[in-house]
Amino acid sequence: MQTFHIRYRNTQGTLMRILNAASRRALDLPLVQAEAAEHDHQVTLALDVNQKQVGQLYREWYGIADVIKVSSGAAAHAATWAAPHPPAGVVIEESRAAARA
Amino acid sequence: MEIKGADIVLQCLRAEGVELVFGYPGGAIMPLYDALEGSGVRHILTRHEQGAVFAAEGYARVTGEVGVAMATSGPGATNLVTGIADAKMDSVPLVCITGQVRSALIGTDAFQETDVFGVTLSLTKWSRLVRTIDEIPEAIAEGFHWARSGRPGPVVIDIPTDLLKAKKEFSGPVKFTPHARPADAKAEGGFTDTIVALLRQSSKPVALVGAGAKLSGAIAELRRLLDELNIPTFATVHGLGAVPPETPYYLGMVGMHGTRAANMALHETDLLLVFGARLDDRVTGDPTRFAPHAKIVHFEIDPAQLDRVRPCDLPVIGNLADTIPAFHVELRRHSSPDFSSWRAVACGDERAELDPRGLAQPTIRFLDELFSRLPQDSVVLTDVGQHQMWAAQRYRSASPRGFITSGGLGAMGFALPAAVGVQLAKPDTCVLCVSGDGGFQMNIQELATVHRLGLPVKMVIIDNKYLGMVRQWQQLFYQRNYAETDLSDNPDFVEIAKAYKIHSFRLNEDAMREFPVSSETGEQIDRFLHSPEPELLVFDCAPEANVFPMVPAGAALSEMLLEEEPTQ
Repeated sequence: MQTFHIRYRNTQGTLMRILNAASRRALDLPLVQAEAAEHDHQVTLALDVNQKQVGQLYREWYGIADVIKVSSGAAAHAATWAAPHPPAGVVIEESRAAARA
Repeated sequence: MEIKGADIVLQCLRAEGVELVFGYPGGAIMPLYDALEGSGVRHILTRHEQGAVFAAEGYARVTGEVGVAMATSGPGATNLVTGIADAKMDSVPLVCITGQVRSALIGTDAFQETDVFGVTLSLTKWSRLVRTIDEIPEAIAEGFHWARSGRPGPVVIDIPTDLLKAKKEFSGPVKFTPHARPADAKAEGGFTDTIVALLRQSSKPVALVGAGAKLSGAIAELRRLLDELNIPTFATVHGLGAVPPETPYYLGMVGMHGTRAANMALHETDLLLVFGARLDDRVTGDPTRFAPHAKIVHFEIDPAQLDRVRPCDLPVIGNLADTIPAFHVELRRHSSPDFSSWRAVACGDERAELDPRGLAQPTIRFLDELFSRLPQDSVVLTDVGQHQMWAAQRYRSASPRGFITSGGLGAMGFALPAAVGVQLAKPDTCVLCVSGDGGFQMNIQELATVHRLGLPVKMVIIDNKYLGMVRQWQQLFYQRNYAETDLSDNPDFVEIAKAYKIHSFRLNEDAMREFPVSSETGEQIDRFLHSPEPELLVFDCAPEANVFPMVPAGAALSEMLLEEEPTQ
């Protein structure tokens, strides 16, 4: 598992294009964290990728109009991402009981 | 004075040099249509939005200018999607303007609302859902910039109908200035030394030319460089016309249906120079066994195309209009290595003779006859399928934008509407549109557009009454299980053309069994090609002719089939 930090101008669709570069390769997105960063924005992704995919992703991200910089962090431990995703929802019976109340 | 958003759109299009748009009206985009008269923008009405976007592509492919298509919201916009994907795959500069439901209804699943921005996100270089009338000039300026710059491609600008009707004081179109981008990296200095060194170390170098060589406008420089290198050279389907076919070191098309000589040279090479080709799987065959002995030098403007299928040893990132001359200058400072013995093998008669030109095959003979009688500087378009590959194999022009086809996406139904765009762009040029009977029917309604505009397009249907290329695969790899490829109940295309008031006639493959063809047949073809009117020629041919050579899926280029073999 590897983390990637992509700095971008938060124009329409840019974040979605960044995520799409991963999803079109059938890569799961166990962590996505986007936030303002100084004058721009930054998104951190954790992806389970091989070396060839890393190169492809870098090149595709840099090809997006408003991507400014791509860097990668240290490999993350798999256990960190072991929590169920998406988070477990409310049990159905509880929901029905609340609705009848 | 206040003007409407629709007028702003049209003024901005004129500022970008647009004179022609292709489209189909509807509810959400009606205000834009209402503003067309007197705008200086000529609108071409097609009969399907897909016809409009393919026509815009044809226009863009033959001119190098941005093609513009417009459609309404919902199904109008979604009907553009195939053309947008086609433009993305084949690097075609395209701007699509779509109407959208009024701003207050967006996101409510309103009538004829689709999230065209979301639908086309992965297919576009850039897109924008315009939110205010003030954004319109900037959106159009930026859209045209991304459509044209770097590796050209498609852009979508989605404009809610209320913004097209709204008014504001308009001070004029704006210019877009892009931010500096890290992806605009140029090739590092010293790459020319490295390539020269690699050439000196190699004994079997080859050159592969793709669409990028043409898109860069560097054809003349490339031809001079290739003459200097004098090494076996071949082209992708989009590179056809980049190298004059009579050039002694030129081996034709390479890849799945490439020539035997080209495929063998590519398999045996120890140094592959790639000029503006993206090395897609139709060219490489099994990527793990592609050019197994070679170092690869890849001249490419789009870094995303590097190392996709096979790592390259030396990427040369940049516009070929810059990198090719730089390389040529360095090459001329050194004495040229002698590759004559390699050339004698790779380009020799023995390999050429083993190419199954299939001169006894009537459809191939017919295409040869057509191409040999074409006026100079004609443009040939094909649809997708067997006829496409035969046409690519037999194409003999040195016109860089003279062979137009849907390569990367392989979209059937492309040729006829694209021919509309090409003919409008080149009104004095002979435009030959070759389709199969399957693909022709996918946008057959554009015969109405051809008739209305009186476009003298020369349309040919290779009618073998099958989805021929699929049938070929079924024959070779699926034990002749011809599932759902039988088109033997095709309508009479001659009668359909007459219904659209287009002259049409039929030729049978028996006419191609004489060599040379009879004077009567020759006159029929000449009259067809030189008619000032639109014409349709239906060529009736046998169903089970196959395209060879063929590299089966998953096979190496060296494992091409040269003729029919027992089915697996």
